[in-house]
Amino acid sequence: MAVLATQPLLKIENLRTYFYARSKHSFIRAVDGVSLEVGHSETVGVVGESGSGKSIAAMSVMGLISNGPGVIGGSIRFTGRRVQRDLLEGLDKFVNVKERHGRVMVVNKDEAGWQKASERQMKNLRGKEIAMIFQNPRASLNPYITVGEQLTEAVQLHTLYKTRKEASDRALYWLEQVKIDSPRLRFNSYPADLSGGMCQRAMIAMALSSEPALLIADEPTTGLDATIQSKIVNLLEELKSETGISTLLISHDISVISRLADRVAVMYGGAVVEYGQSKLVLGEDASIKHPYTAALLASVPSEQQIRDKASLQTIEGDVLDTINVPAGCRFYARCNQITPEINEKCASHHPELREISPGHQVRCWRFSN
Amino acid sequence: MKKYTQTSGEIGDFSQLPIWQKYAWVDLLYVSYGLLIVALVLVSYMFGMLHWLPYDPQQINMDMLMAPPFSQGYWLGTDFMGRDIQSRLIMGIQAYFLPGLLAVSISLLAGVMLGILSGYLGGKIETVITYITNLIDSFPRLVLILLVVAAFKPDIYYIMMVMGITGIPAVATAIANKIRFLAQKNFIEAAIALGLRTRAIILKHILWYNCRALLIIQATLGMGEAILLETSLSYLGFGVQEPVASWGNMVQSGANYFLQGNFWPSTAPALAILFTILGFNLLGDGLNNILEDRRGR
Repeated sequence: MAVLATQPLLKIENLRTYFYARSKHSFIRAVDGVSLEVGHSETVGVVGESGSGKSIAAMSVMGLISNGPGVIGGSIRFTGRRVQRDLLEGLDKFVNVKERHGRVMVVNKDEAGWQKASERQMKNLRGKEIAMIFQNPRASLNPYITVGEQLTEAVQLHTLYKTRKEASDRALYWLEQVKIDSPRLRFNSYPADLSGGMCQRAMIAMALSSEPALLIADEPTTGLDATIQSKIVNLLEELKSETGISTLLISHDISVISRLADRVAVMYGGAVVEYGQSKLVLGEDASIKHPYTAALLASVPSEQQIRDKASLQTIEGDVLDTINVPAGCRFYARCNQITPEINEKCASHHPELREISPGHQVRCWRFSN
Repeated sequence: MKKYTQTSGEIGDFSQLPIWQKYAWVDLLYVSYGLLIVALVLVSYMFGMLHWLPYDPQQINMDMLMAPPFSQGYWLGTDFMGRDIQSRLIMGIQAYFLPGLLAVSISLLAGVMLGILSGYLGGKIETVITYITNLIDSFPRLVLILLVVAAFKPDIYYIMMVMGITGIPAVATAIANKIRFLAQKNFIEAAIALGLRTRAIILKHILWYNCRALLIIQATLGMGEAILLETSLSYLGFGVQEPVASWGNMVQSGANYFLQGNFWPSTAPALAILFTILGFNLLGDGLNNILEDRRGR
């Protein structure tokens, strides 16, 4: 068990997931060198605008990327109680990447071989050790099968409750755990008869029913109305303290992240630009933050602003076009904290993720001394 | 006017409602009529197989030519040779029952397999399967049947095999489209993320839960079509040959006496054809509505 003490539950290193824009003959660098850690019983929030690669990173961990070329490099080390494995181990032989000036130009990938080997690596892991809940919960449930039946199937597949009776009792238990109202009634309902919030509760029950070590929650509150959102967040908070499950929480909603996450990773343009304790990253002090994080936080209206009916702060410009990634800092075009001394470096060189205080890393030339 | 009722003070649990409150009465009527016809056909088929018939269907009675219904023990009368129409109707089921099942199972089994292959694997395999189904589709069914009849012999099993093969493209295309459509759906992705095996996803989540209505419709419509084809061909003299009874050749032989006022020997098998095919089609229709009812949005 020494491994458990020293190793985080999930350690993603230099993950790269690319897609190909056929019409433009170029790569879409959806996830470009992401490194992340999720410790045991820890919640890590991943925040960023749409298109910053948050969901794709999560899908890469689950091995759910189906478009080519998909994942082309990196390592995803999973160190659970029952399984310790690198999810991408031995997969690099299916990919041949040619780089020029540090930029990927040609990718040859045996996608069928990769897929097969990846399925082998994911065996006994997907759904059992790593569970995932998606945004748009209603669409994630099969509309033709009752909620109870789907839950029972998940329980039978992953736990020792193998007989129908045991499994459906266990499924009902999980419906009670996620505090769905009248669980026995919902058990026999079809997803169409449930509200969005109830569907998300059912999805959470299904994900937790295998008692996984890691839960990946991909925008779990998006598409739900505000009161339901807060109820789902409360539920996740309670489940976290009850079960001690590790969570990788992906959201563009900073308030959700700040309530649930212990550590926060801010993503921009397919890379992590800031990573550290939730208090530091989402705290008040803007001087120790990446300019993007500061801008994101500034665009959340404060109560004072709401009272004054002040206009909302926005970040100038558009989200990075991941096809034409600039050579310099990816946030260069939208950054408002460039000083003349570092301007040249910002424009020409991509900064490294640098530790500015213990456990707090920022990818910005401002902190390079 | 539409009526909405709540059956009790509690929130209604749909699954515990009695069946007549769950579904539209029209659908229930269709299904019960269809089931009645299917049961009748099945029981009659058994009787015919065991020869538990009022008379030998081949037995000629020269004293009772063209007897009207309800005369001297002949419930449905006799035909122009004095043969019992009731017995011949029952024996006529032998002509289409097994061959029809054969045709339906060929088109369903092969169609489902090709559909899964082309819908799930895609790529080159899909192209090849599309070529095959297009090739089958581009041949007129009757021409193919006449070719087979000319090349071999007018055997109903050969004809029904051709019918089964020509039914493959419709099933294969429908299944392949359904799989392609569902594969993009979030719940299939969620099922993969849940760790379900591909086989379980295709067979259970896609085929059983999402395609069973389609398969049932195809099966019942196919059976109705098989009956129609068998009777038409027998009517034309290509299918089951006299003196073996088929509803088709009964209509044909009775039709010669229709204008002389003896309309019964041809009308009885014609009505049998009508009500049987109606029964199969309504069964499929009703079951489709009942099974599709729960899909929600």
